Amino acid sequence: MFETIMGLSRYNNLMWSGFLETMYMVGMALLFAIIGGIPLGVMTTITRPNHILPNKFINFILDGIINIGRSIPFIILMVAVIPLTRLIVGTSIGTTAAIVPLSLAAIPFMGRITDNAILEIDQGVIESAQSMGASPFQLVFKVLLPESLPAIILGLTLTAISLVSYSAMAGAVGGGGLGDIAIRYGYQRFQLAIMLETIVILVVVVQLIQYFGNKIAGLFDHRS
Amino acid sequence: MIKINNLTKHYQAAQGKVEAINGLNLEVNDGEIFGMIGPSGAGKSTLIRMLNLLEKPTSGSITINGTDLTALSSQNLRAARQKIGMIFQHFNLLSSRTVLENVAFPLEIAGVRKKKRLKKAADLIELVGLADRIDHYPSQLSGGQKQRVGIARALANEPDLLLSDEATSSLDPESTRAILELLARIREKMNLTIILITHEMGVIKDICDRVAVLEAGKIIETGSVIELFSRPKQSLTKKFISSVIDFNIPSRVAKYMKAEKRGELIRVSFVGEKSHDPYISHLVKHYSVDANILYGNIDEIQGVPFGTLILGLEGELDKIEESTAYLKSQGLAVEVLDNV
Repeated sequence: MFETIMGLSRYNNLMWSGFLETMYMVGMALLFAIIGGIPLGVMTTITRPNHILPNKFINFILDGIINIGRSIPFIILMVAVIPLTRLIVGTSIGTTAAIVPLSLAAIPFMGRITDNAILEIDQGVIESAQSMGASPFQLVFKVLLPESLPAIILGLTLTAISLVSYSAMAGAVGGGGLGDIAIRYGYQRFQLAIMLETIVILVVVVQLIQYFGNKIAGLFDHRS
Repeated sequence: MIKINNLTKHYQAAQGKVEAINGLNLEVNDGEIFGMIGPSGAGKSTLIRMLNLLEKPTSGSITINGTDLTALSSQNLRAARQKIGMIFQHFNLLSSRTVLENVAFPLEIAGVRKKKRLKKAADLIELVGLADRIDHYPSQLSGGQKQRVGIARALANEPDLLLSDEATSSLDPESTRAILELLARIREKMNLTIILITHEMGVIKDICDRVAVLEAGKIIETGSVIELFSRPKQSLTKKFISSVIDFNIPSRVAKYMKAEKRGELIRVSFVGEKSHDPYISHLVKHYSVDANILYGNIDEIQGVPFGTLILGLEGELDKIEESTAYLKSQGLAVEVLDNV
């Protein structure tokens, strides 16, 4: 056993590059989740009936997009969007290609989280800003987003952790990363030690994401 | 001057059509503190929220200084709203902003430059007595302190009108008194018109000049606070008044007066100078009735002495009638109490 564990150092480079690939996929998908998911969530909330810009039609469409995106299992989504991936990245194989389905999964997820976070804001707080003459634009940027920021940051944390787990599946289509290593070395070549090592790394990564997510959210949370 | 003309608000609820406000007319003068009181469900909250169009009226108009709010475009309405401050029962402060940033918020919305708005906000915070809490977050403040922030915030754009939606209803009695004093003080200082709604008659008694009593979406009685307290007409008004001035006669006394058929129980209200004159001794001397004082109270409503006596008049019936007629002729409000 000791021998096996000592032997792991041979794979240090492999592990390190796997780790970097995972971080790259998760980081990029998270970036697109912020760029795409937060506006999607904001638009969905504010077009709800009795919110600041009620619009049944737009709300129906956006809510539908979020629900459909959230209901497709990731492994199926990954295969289904291959033509789109080819169109955007030029290939459907590799780490960069995996970012497309990861982003497509993360955007509706983050959309729903943002929607819920904004709905949590007391209607009275929104009304008080309206009573001061705030425009819808000011309401979004000066009230809704700042007031829901702690919840949105926690939501991003949750999204990041989900993405770590999805990125392992991306390994199945040649996406690389730690999950890919676990499957190829650990499962297909019966190298249990490598399997365990990737699990340990993944556990540590998830713990760190959660820890810093909580810390950062706490910095912005003045509610208690 | 605020004019409310034929205002109605109907909406569809799960239980059917709700007529929250029904053809309501009202005028409020500049510099006045106008109170609206009513039981829950009377439509007070709907009414005050219509005054800055947080709630859209079904029909009717709301005219403030000659401008009909209901006719404004959304952009002009936003500008008009900047001149109408509002404070709320649950304060509605932004949890992500400090006291200073909360008070500066309406100025930020109005496009005032940062340096100027922070200076203005700091001055207002000083005015409401929270200078030592300027960098605290709302969650670090007590209810009374939060409402002070709410008031400072509502004053930031130098409004002509301040709307108060049950502003003291979630505060303890001591904070309530302090907040009411603050409102009275800023009215003087800033020549502000204040319209407030409440379900507490004490609030009306302490700071309002005039009052309207609301029931089922209509004003059932209106007048100066002194008038209302001394000569309430509607039973609901009487009920509200009895919540701050306790007219209840101890049951044993009431029983004694009734059982022995010794005479009548009457309630006499004195207002202003009249409370100094010796009516009772006159009564006893000239009408040969015995006056048994069962309850007495002298209060002051906005500087005007206001007294209430409950008398048990004993003697012959015609003498009793004569004596009540005498009291009435002296301009006192007299009410015969038969269902005590």
